[in-house]
Amino acid sequence: MGKMVTVDPVTRIEGHLGITVEIEDGKVKDAWSSGTMARGFEALLEGRDPRDASFVTSRFCGVCYSVHQMASVRALDAAFGAEVPWGGTLLRNLAMGAEYIYDHILHFYHLSALDYIDIMAVAAYKGRDEDLNALKEKVVGLVKSKDTFPLTPRYKPDEFSVNDPDMVTSAVKHYIDALAMQAKARNMGAIFGGRQPHYQSIVVGGCTQYPDVNMVARYRTMLDEIAEFVNEVYIPDVLAFGTGPLFPLAKMGLGGGHYNYMSYGALELDKDGKEWVFPAGVINGLNPADIRVESFNPDHITESVKYGWYRENKPVHPYEGEQVFELDKEGAYTFIKAPRYDGKPMEVGPLARMLVAKNPDLMGLVEKGAKPGVVARHAARAIETKLLLDACYKWCDQLLSEMTQPGFKIHDTDHYEPPEEGEGAGFYEAPRGALGHWIKVKDRKIQNYQAVVPSTWNASPRCEKKYRGQYEESLIGAPVPDPDNPINVVRIIRSFDPCLACAIHLIDPQTNELKDFIVE
Amino acid sequence: MSGLFGDISRRDFMKYCASTAAVLGLSEIEFVSKVSEALAASSSKPPVVWLEGQDCAGCTISLAGALNPPVSKIILDKLSIRYHETIMASAGYLAEATLEETIKAGGHVLCVEGSIPTADDRFCMVGGRPFREILEESAEKASVIIAVGACATYGGIPAAGPTKGVGVGKIVKDKPVINLSTCPVHCDHLVGSILYYLATKTAPELDRYGRPRLYFNELVHDNCRRRYYFDEGYFLTDWNDPKQKNWCLYEKGCKGPDTYADCPVRQWNDGLNFCIDCGAGCMGCSEPSFYDGMSPLYTAESERSKNIMARKKAGLIPPKEKA
Repeated sequence: MGKMVTVDPVTRIEGHLGITVEIEDGKVKDAWSSGTMARGFEALLEGRDPRDASFVTSRFCGVCYSVHQMASVRALDAAFGAEVPWGGTLLRNLAMGAEYIYDHILHFYHLSALDYIDIMAVAAYKGRDEDLNALKEKVVGLVKSKDTFPLTPRYKPDEFSVNDPDMVTSAVKHYIDALAMQAKARNMGAIFGGRQPHYQSIVVGGCTQYPDVNMVARYRTMLDEIAEFVNEVYIPDVLAFGTGPLFPLAKMGLGGGHYNYMSYGALELDKDGKEWVFPAGVINGLNPADIRVESFNPDHITESVKYGWYRENKPVHPYEGEQVFELDKEGAYTFIKAPRYDGKPMEVGPLARMLVAKNPDLMGLVEKGAKPGVVARHAARAIETKLLLDACYKWCDQLLSEMTQPGFKIHDTDHYEPPEEGEGAGFYEAPRGALGHWIKVKDRKIQNYQAVVPSTWNASPRCEKKYRGQYEESLIGAPVPDPDNPINVVRIIRSFDPCLACAIHLIDPQTNELKDFIVE
Repeated sequence: MSGLFGDISRRDFMKYCASTAAVLGLSEIEFVSKVSEALAASSSKPPVVWLEGQDCAGCTISLAGALNPPVSKIILDKLSIRYHETIMASAGYLAEATLEETIKAGGHVLCVEGSIPTADDRFCMVGGRPFREILEESAEKASVIIAVGACATYGGIPAAGPTKGVGVGKIVKDKPVINLSTCPVHCDHLVGSILYYLATKTAPELDRYGRPRLYFNELVHDNCRRRYYFDEGYFLTDWNDPKQKNWCLYEKGCKGPDTYADCPVRQWNDGLNFCIDCGAGCMGCSEPSFYDGMSPLYTAESERSKNIMARKKAGLIPPKEKA
């Protein structure tokens, strides 16, 4: 047996995650991913007014709050029979576009970059740029005062770490600039979303913020500033790193995984919903030379609890699931369930979406020899950010024209009251991947609520068929020459942008009530 | 862009400290210089340990939205962030070792985000250990404890669920806890409280729920821009109707008359707007009874909402000009 190494907590992610790897001959031989926190949100929703669901489930995750709200209100829209007016959809999309842009910037600079750069290279900067010299002085000052928290301690840089002083110094400056930029992107979304984090104005039937021209103008002005940063800083940084010093990591395909990809699709670009920013689809066993995309069918989703701290049950569709805690269950190692599509584990997220869309920019990278893995995931995020900027401009124009139409509407007022009975599914794409919420309403209250979230797909444990989850599989073969310095392990895990609080859910352990759902 | 890492400007301090000065009985100028002195005098930056229990990281993200002063200055210049799972470079044993060292030495600012499960420790484990134990150990030698956001203050949403999440004050009973409720925390409340502590080495004056009076002394309702419409009985029923755009959100579940927080004055999103500005009622997220006691949120069907209307009709919530 190889040496067992556990990284717990995995940091710079949202939530509580532990990763254990078995290392043999300097490489990962096996891996286990474990979610270590639960709050019981679905359980506490039972018996509540259904309209509470979008507010509560936003708190699944404080990073990607709004996508939960969206998946939730889409499930509610379906259950209530609400038809969201195009104006309401545009307001939702404008709020959501901002969310993606902020989230991708934050992930690249603040959650991931420190895995790839040797930050102390800043001390060797010899250029003349005034800002960068101020930064150098700052870092040298921190080192001299022996207080470099939170930038240290860190895993030791390895042969893949970027240590070119110019490149590292400007990256660290961009890290700081990006802090302001992600905050501004969130404020932009809040123009229509209400307070952030945790939007307040996205409700069943539409949106509560009646727009005016000034709001759109303000949004566009903020969008201009963010677009400048994305086009002139973020995308060039990802390109410079991905096709430069990190290209060896891209070519070796570090962190590949199962090569199965799935997108539920999201963000309509037109009134009829014909064109989407993210199309839906499934790829089974990627062949980069000939990508075959199948259509997505929600009926093919099942969840396994074999290795979760839940009562034993066969894999079932989320509508039919039961989740009863069993903290002493033998062989279990996580609070995360194991969703499968046609029985297979899937990767969800930006890489999956851009592969399903056969995005030309990503295809260009693949042609250059980049294999799906950590670097491709970062590249896919940057590509998406650009797509979303374009979409946000388009939605601004569409809203301006829609606002002047007689009978302009933002909300379906006729379907705001909960039905006696109803059920609905809400599918969406979170920045980190495919997201689904399911609700059943009875006597105007929530009878059952279920969520299968992106990190459940990616961070899932093994299932009956022994397929590893996507995190686990993507770690296999990763070089870890020094077991005390498993830097590649955290590079791989963070490339998925984990979001663990939302991956963990449960239903009332006291009542042990069996949840029956019927799929229409 | 020079001054990238310069000191937080005097204006920034004014923004945070104006009302603080009044509380201390100092003039603004005196107070600002006192804060500046305190920060300049400490050659080593105050160590901060930030723990995350049953949280969503929303409060961390809210702090990361601070633009005045920018969060980069706060985390790199003013504080020594020893442990914060969402921002620190280290992971695994490196992270745990730093935490252990810092809390052993003591004297740190302890910020806690998220609730603590009481139904079973195993609902929240970090580094293979119950979060509750880590919190107790970290609190022992902390110089000040700040509960950040609704979950860490009074249990928030997890309090209504099967894990029976509670706030810090229910676990750490032998020390005062500064409670910064609202879901998520307002970055001004957090930065302001930390600056206050650094300047005075004491906690700001707290209300009976442990909240700084600085931020939680007035009802949302009393500063609401829609107050006139409440007083006159104009309640929004249709979000599509431009005529109703600024009407009172009571019918849509607003709990402003029962909620102490400075949101209407301070606003959110760098002063851009806040919930009520966007046509969504106040959810009462700063109150100890949140979430359970405020539910249902988006309708006036709750006992609480009915009680608000009964009080209005009985003249117990008088029109503003008569209050």
